Formats: sequence, C-alpha cells, structure tokens
Amino acid sequence: MFGPYQAIGWRVAASLVLSTWIAAPTAAKPIAFANGTTIMGEYGAGTMEEAQAFYAPYYWLSVGAGFLRLDSDASARTRDIQYLRVNYLAHRWNLEEAQANVFAWGGLGTATGSDFRGSRLDREAGFQADYETRRVYASWVTDLHESSAYSDRVDTVQLGFSPYAHDYQDLATWFVLQARDYSGGIHHGVEYAALVRLFKGGAWIEAGLTQDGKPQVMMMFNF
Amino acid sequence: MRYLILMLSALAFVPAQAPAATIEMEVNGLVCAFCAQGIEKKLRAFPATADVVVSLEKRLVALSTRDSQDIPDEELKRALTDAGYTVKAIHRENETLDDVRQRLKAHQ
Repeated sequence: MFGPYQAIGWRVAASLVLSTWIAAPTAAKPIAFANGTTIMGEYGAGTMEEAQAFYAPYYWLSVGAGFLRLDSDASARTRDIQYLRVNYLAHRWNLEEAQANVFAWGGLGTATGSDFRGSRLDREAGFQADYETRRVYASWVTDLHESSAYSDRVDTVQLGFSPYAHDYQDLATWFVLQARDYSGGIHHGVEYAALVRLFKGGAWIEAGLTQDGKPQVMMMFNF
Repeated sequence: MRYLILMLSALAFVPAQAPAATIEMEVNGLVCAFCAQGIEKKLRAFPATADVVVSLEKRLVALSTRDSQDIPDEELKRALTDAGYTVKAIHRENETLDDVRQRLKAHQ
C-alpha cells in the first residue's frame, strides 16, 4: 500500500544518513495529549506554508483543520488547500527511556491552483513514524494531497540531537537536520535544512536554513 | 461538663490537617515536556489533587492531595493510561511534595 511512499522515504532517509550531519528534537506530533489543543504554523523555504489547529479528545485521536500553500520554486505553479483532518495514533511504544509512535491521518478539503480552473475536492492521507529519547530524535512523515487535477506529496525525515537532557521546566534545545522531498515538481531534488529547535512547556519554535539559504520556521503551541 | 471542656480543649491542639500524602508514580515513555504537560493536566483534574511534580530525569510523577485525601491506584492508573503512558509502579511516600522536589533537585 505504501510501496511508492516507502521508496521515496528510504531514498530520503539514505540521503540523510549519508550526509553525516547529526541533528535533532522532539517531534511535532499531530496529537499532543488528551483534551489538548495544538496550533501549528510552518513556513517552509518558500515552497510550502501550512497552518493547522487540532483538538484531541483522546491521546490517540485529534480532529481539526488546516491550510496548505504549495509554491513551486521551479515554475509559477501554486496550490492553496483548505482541509479538515482526523489524526489517529495507530500505535505507541512507551519504553523506559524512550517513546515511539506511529500516526496516520486522512482528510478532505477544497483546493484551488494556478494550473487548473475552479476548485477541486482535495483528499489527504498521511503517515508518521517517530522515535525519541531525551537526547535523540528521528521521524519520517509523508503527506499526500490528491485531486482530479494534481497529486502532491511531501516526505520529510528529521534527525535530532540535544546537547543536554532537558527536564519538564527546562528550556529544551535541539539541533535538527531535515531532508524533504516534494513530488509534483514543487522542488527538484531533496531539500536539506539545518534547524535549531527550542521548546519549553507547551511552546516551541524551530528555525533554520535550507542548503539554498532559504529560511524555514515552524511554531507550535499546545494547551 | 468538665470532661467535655477538657476534650474540646485537647482537640483544639490537634493540627487541623495532617501532612498531605504524596503519591509517586513511575511512568514509562516520559521523554518530553509535552508528555509531562498532558499528564499534569490529567492529574490536576482530580478534585483531590493539590499539586503535581513531574521529573523526566527520574521518569517520576508525584502528586500531593488536599486534606490527606487519597486517590485509588486504579483511578491514577486509568488517568495516566488515558494520557497515553504506561504506569510501572505506584507508591505512597511519607514526605511532602516539597521534599520530593528537593530530592529531585539534589539528584540533578
């Protein structure tokens, strides 16, 4: 089922490992905690901008809405997608010094774009696997948006490292290396970014640069 | 009547509240601030909860209760499971939550 995704994901993962850069953080998860609200915003190097808000009635389920803009840096093509989405924690491993999760999500929305007329029904499907301790973090996220006019997928791999093990009330600092692969001609090749992530309590900010010197910023608030 | 006055006088010297009980829970999967935030929110929802301390370092969640009330293990376990975490052990300690804070600080 995830054959084509896996191929791309492994390609990105292999590229990352070969890059020998080690970075890292705690994962941006589509479900933070039960009875919690999560608001996220991301500016991705001029190729993507996304805003999301989710409410989780349970630790394994959240529902919400989002807006995604995809801008091709290889052409003038743009895509604006508004969607409603359900996130599901398929499995969690609570280990003594670590946690690992598998998430899946699906959604429906409307999309407009510069290369087709009117609006289309957008269908979204995604998957995330992550593993983290208080010092290392790894995640793989794939997110697919499809309609009768397009099929765009964004695959992201992150590897993170924290110079110190933070505690609950501490400011957590992570260095992260990210590799992102866009299908559909949004960006040619794998886009790498080096990021610094800071978080304390329910707030986090992550910022850095891609290999082309373009800024990438992500913010998340949980309450 | 004299006995009654004596008894009431004696009761006046009994502390109004016994020291708050501290319940400690060892939790697996406790690796980030968001985890702690979710657990704290769940435990503070108990009317009997006075205060909560979370240590990622010790994988420990401790709470004190109001007026020496107790919260059954089953309810604590359910709260932490509903928060998405695995409880390894629950035990009660004869120390205040401030003592727990100091102990955790001393081990840092």
